[in-house]
Amino acid sequence: MSDVAAPDTSSTYFDDRLDTHTRVSNLEVAGILWRALKLLSAARGLFLSKIALSFVALIPGLYLSWLAKIVIDQVLLQQPFDQTKVPFPPHVAPFVDAIADLSPMGIMAAVTGLLFVLLILFGREETRASFSQGEDSATQSENAISQGGSGTSGIVGLVETLVQVRISQRLTNRLRTELFRRMGRLPMTVLDNHRIGDAVYRVMYDAPMLPQMCYRATLEPLSALVGAAISLYMIGYSYGDVAPELVWAACAVIPAGLCITVPFSGLTRRVQQQSRAAGSATTNALEESLGNVSAVQSLGGMAREKERIDARSSESFRRYRFVKLVELIVGFAGLGALAVFGFWAYVFITDQVIDGVLTPGDWGVLFGLGLSLGFTALSVGTFWIELQGNAAAVRRVFFFIDQPVEDPGSDSLRLESFAGTVRIEGVDFRYPDGRQALKGIDLELESGQLVAIVGPTGAGKTSLAYLIPGFIRPDAGRVLFDGRDIQEVDVDSLRDQVAYVFQEHMLMSESIRDNLLMVQPDATQAEVMQALATAGALEFVRALPNGIDTVLGRSGDTLSVGQKQRLCIARGLIRNTPILILDEPTAALDPQTENALVQALRDASRGRLVIVIAHRLSAVRRADRIVFLEEGEIRGIGSHEALMADPTSRYRRFVELQGGG
Amino acid sequence: MRGCRIVSEAISATGSPDEQSTLSPQELGRLVLRTWPYMRPQLRHLVAWIVARYALELVFLVATLIAFDLFNNKILLGEKLQPDQAVLLQLDESYVRAPDTLGVGAEEEAAPLDALFDDTDDVERPLDPAVTMNTEQRRVVRNRLGAVFAIAAILFFLLGPTIDYYRTWILQRVNQYLRVTMMERAEHLSLRYHSHARTGDAIYRIYQDSAMITSVVERAVLEPVVAVGHVVFSFLVIWLFSPILGGVYLAGMLPIIMLVVWFTPRLQIRSRRARTANSALTSRIQEAFAAIRIVKANRAERVMGSRFDGDSRMALDAAFYLRTEFILMRVLVVVIAGAMIIGTQYLMAGWTIAETPTFLAGAVALVGFSVWNLGTFQAANSRNEEFVEAGSELIGMWGVIQDLGVGLDRAFFLLDLKPDIVDADDAVPLPAPIREIRFERVAFGYDPARPVLDEVDLNAEAGTITAIVGGTGSGKSTLMSLLLRLYDPDAGTIRINGVPLVGIRMESLRAGVAIALQQNTLFATTVADNIAYAKADASRQDIESAARVACADAFIREMRQGYDTELGERGGKLSTGQRQRLSIARAIVRDTPILILDEPTASLDAETEHAVLENLSDWGRERIVFLITHRLSTIRNADQIAFLEDGEIRELGDHESLMSIPDGRYRRYVNAEVQIDASELPE
Repeated sequence: MSDVAAPDTSSTYFDDRLDTHTRVSNLEVAGILWRALKLLSAARGLFLSKIALSFVALIPGLYLSWLAKIVIDQVLLQQPFDQTKVPFPPHVAPFVDAIADLSPMGIMAAVTGLLFVLLILFGREETRASFSQGEDSATQSENAISQGGSGTSGIVGLVETLVQVRISQRLTNRLRTELFRRMGRLPMTVLDNHRIGDAVYRVMYDAPMLPQMCYRATLEPLSALVGAAISLYMIGYSYGDVAPELVWAACAVIPAGLCITVPFSGLTRRVQQQSRAAGSATTNALEESLGNVSAVQSLGGMAREKERIDARSSESFRRYRFVKLVELIVGFAGLGALAVFGFWAYVFITDQVIDGVLTPGDWGVLFGLGLSLGFTALSVGTFWIELQGNAAAVRRVFFFIDQPVEDPGSDSLRLESFAGTVRIEGVDFRYPDGRQALKGIDLELESGQLVAIVGPTGAGKTSLAYLIPGFIRPDAGRVLFDGRDIQEVDVDSLRDQVAYVFQEHMLMSESIRDNLLMVQPDATQAEVMQALATAGALEFVRALPNGIDTVLGRSGDTLSVGQKQRLCIARGLIRNTPILILDEPTAALDPQTENALVQALRDASRGRLVIVIAHRLSAVRRADRIVFLEEGEIRGIGSHEALMADPTSRYRRFVELQGGG
Repeated sequence: MRGCRIVSEAISATGSPDEQSTLSPQELGRLVLRTWPYMRPQLRHLVAWIVARYALELVFLVATLIAFDLFNNKILLGEKLQPDQAVLLQLDESYVRAPDTLGVGAEEEAAPLDALFDDTDDVERPLDPAVTMNTEQRRVVRNRLGAVFAIAAILFFLLGPTIDYYRTWILQRVNQYLRVTMMERAEHLSLRYHSHARTGDAIYRIYQDSAMITSVVERAVLEPVVAVGHVVFSFLVIWLFSPILGGVYLAGMLPIIMLVVWFTPRLQIRSRRARTANSALTSRIQEAFAAIRIVKANRAERVMGSRFDGDSRMALDAAFYLRTEFILMRVLVVVIAGAMIIGTQYLMAGWTIAETPTFLAGAVALVGFSVWNLGTFQAANSRNEEFVEAGSELIGMWGVIQDLGVGLDRAFFLLDLKPDIVDADDAVPLPAPIREIRFERVAFGYDPARPVLDEVDLNAEAGTITAIVGGTGSGKSTLMSLLLRLYDPDAGTIRINGVPLVGIRMESLRAGVAIALQQNTLFATTVADNIAYAKADASRQDIESAARVACADAFIREMRQGYDTELGERGGKLSTGQRQRLSIARAIVRDTPILILDEPTASLDAETEHAVLENLSDWGRERIVFLITHRLSTIRNADQIAFLEDGEIRELGDHESLMSIPDGRYRRYVNAEVQIDASELPE
């Protein structure tokens, strides 16, 4: 189709790292659509009610034009019913029969009564549940999440709109919860590459485009076509004899609309995708800048950040203008076609009225039916086009849902009991950018030990530790838990055995208690206190005004780094797993605190395997075994004394350097 | 309900007005006025756009009014034209009704009707040529009117989209300006605000709440003006047709206004709840992804997922209830308004049958509505509908404005936060060259009730390294934040060359201080960009030499694209030690007279640490260097050591003199570390 434009430059324009192939064909759009529709099962009951209600909402269209005709011909112009050449359609005939003998004002009274009934039930205009929105893709999503509307107002319109708002919300919630869940299961290497702002954008602003896509693909064309069929039937029934040309023309309107608008679909999709990617880049910039505001301020980067967001935001606005422009062009192309049809109808119908074949009331009927047919044609014509914008957004969501996640599959073993022996056999690992991190690692670790992994920065200590809970998978070799290759073990059951305390201290802005309960929701108060005590955090937590219920600020900024570190250690301890791994647990601690913590860890290692990554000797000295790592290879294993006893060992040289400071 | 608690926390944390607060019409008005500074730069465009829109609107209005009579009475029923209509359509006198028959009563009027319905086979029968046109003439009028329609349509197709596009362009510029201003404000707010607020809240305010400004122009200013215009104009026309109709509509407005008054505060409360809940949800997502590793490592996906689900449901429910109120109000208004239209149709039908003259029959005769007939009925009915439509639109807008006002209120809240740290009016640039920095009885607490620093006195001179030592949480990093003016002290002053810090321009102060933070924040750009973050004009040579001082050059070169390697979010691809060295390089490249290193070597091994410190002491001549650290190996290099405990400097001096204090605190601290390290040292 029109997919022959310039090469896709979005990856350089916007800062997507993973999602760089954003072009999709019409066929892929159909695939995305099919997937979206399958999600509708989440709201099956509501959706069926919505369909039923939207058919009910077509009822006023069956009557209003004819009532208007009666008012003009029989009331205002006082023509008797039997003079008309145009038969009333069957559903109107009983009403006409009932009022045929009344005086003009009697007829008017009957029509007025019927109109009142219709008013209470259906109101007089359409209903939309939307509020103001901004001028780019992100700021319009809020309405899309709670999209709802009805072709009518009154009681039916109220119910129909509210039902639809609920369907939209349920679909969005289901999709974004799924997206949220899946993003948490992406491998570490993917997460390192992925930006937080982009994730926020996909969850908050892309996911809401799903329900609209579902409506646009099912409900809207369905009720439009049924409405069109009804209009065509009425035109055919009443005017088929007197003016058959009208019927032919009415039938041609819809295909004509399609022909004019479909060629724009590729263009629409592309500008939409770019608008969303630009929005993502803006969110990224906002997030990064606000999330690191202390760094930005202390480095004097405020002006720079402002410029960056200025540029990103105006790019996002500019891209949205392209979307708008394409929309306007498509819309007016369709309207133009409709105007040509309308002009022909104007000439044709007035001719018939002048010739006395049709009455002024017929003009009213035909004008009303023709108008609704015309707009149906427009909406059917732009059907595929309008889906493109949604498809662009929903594709961005599916892209992440489709990322390979860590679960090896349902047939994997669950690690039920675990005695605590970890064997690492001949493991090699390379970073995604090709640098060798580990080579030929052989190691056996047992429960009841405090093991220290020691080595200079960049030696591969963290990579080695990452192998154990399966954060990274070896390129060669195996990791065995009690003799079972973890490659075949269910990831969840594997991580149930391992608690990992990272070097960065990430805490949620919730209470300290909630931060601990996050990883172990059913821990008792005593267990929480015990974990805090072991990590040496109990004392300062108690000193806080609200104690354990103190709510932490953004990323725990009200605590010092050492305090946050101890809370993170407590969070690792509370899960009470057979394996505990701590990455540089003491880097920010003063000697006394560190001393106490190392002792506590020694105590904790009874009955479990504790692995400490460190380059500082104070933390290492009391380990049962030391694994000395250098340049991705193990260059010594043994106790501190044993390793020091060898005058040529790399470890001894490392220790001497540190002591000599 | 845990979800509820989270939202209320978010509110209390950011101090925004509480959930129940509503805006009075005056406050709404003030909010709208406050948008003025952001509109001002676009004033020319706004005016141009409004003029264009109104002009088009007006042409459309007049054209429809003329067309109603022409189409219904002249083309469909065959009456002759009014003189003005003939002029407009460029038709000769034979089309025009003779002047003496103008405004005559019912007898003549009945003629065309009879002609139409008496005997349809016989329509060609000549009618009274004084008042009716023959079919040929009717076709000519039809064609001329068709030509006018065609011209109007072409104009509409050309101007409509242009005006619409212009509108988007203008509004985006307004929003961009507000967004950037808010961002700038958020960046400048003191860390005291940020340490209590959630990042997601600020994102939501800047992104979503600020977008409301674009709607203000339209929804609160322009559209209401257009709608009010429609209401007044239609009402006048209705009044001209019949004062009774006017009376009906006036009376019908009363219940509608009562409805609106009842719904207004309800809408505001719902709207604020919806926005607060969405804000909390944004925060939840932002935090969850920032801490994604913790979530993964601890198998907390389910817990986080259910918290997310809870927040998400709350946000959705809030949006649902807001919409329920809104739709209910609209539906009720529509039903009342619809009843008025249907009722007046009945009245008008009676008048048309009786062919009652219209009110002010003579005055409207020009356009041809002197008596109630088909055209009059259609014209009046369409005016009625327009009146009701514009009125109900106004009410819908009123509802939307409530939501919009709440959004703007939230956006302006962020703008209204005074940065508690501002330049004094007579602020001077940072003195150069720097001789000394003096802390005089400085006291500070994040929460004034819990002082972190108390009466700190400290003096640092150019060319010296000052080590700040103390237990975790003793206030070491806080002391340095004060020097950067990330916070202002609660008491006491900090002076540089005798000039108090508050008298120095903040930009120049921060430009004169380089800091390597304990939390090694890296941005998701290239290595080179990260090093040059705070010095955009740094050359590649500067960057590389800074990296060499920080001992980062070697590992950077090992990366596949060297200095141009892209780093992941928060520098995720690097080891902590590597990140730390990049952070040090970033401080060094700025070449400032003051350098602060916060735990610069905590994650470095001994060998690297040595190298870095050695490079630094070479580089640090003539500068003032502060070192915050626990490590003895680092401390010993310092010229003076300040030992901090419980927010006070307990001991101050060089290593030897502090070690010579019997039972001194520093000495005990050192001994604790030595005791740990002792057994590691070879005998």
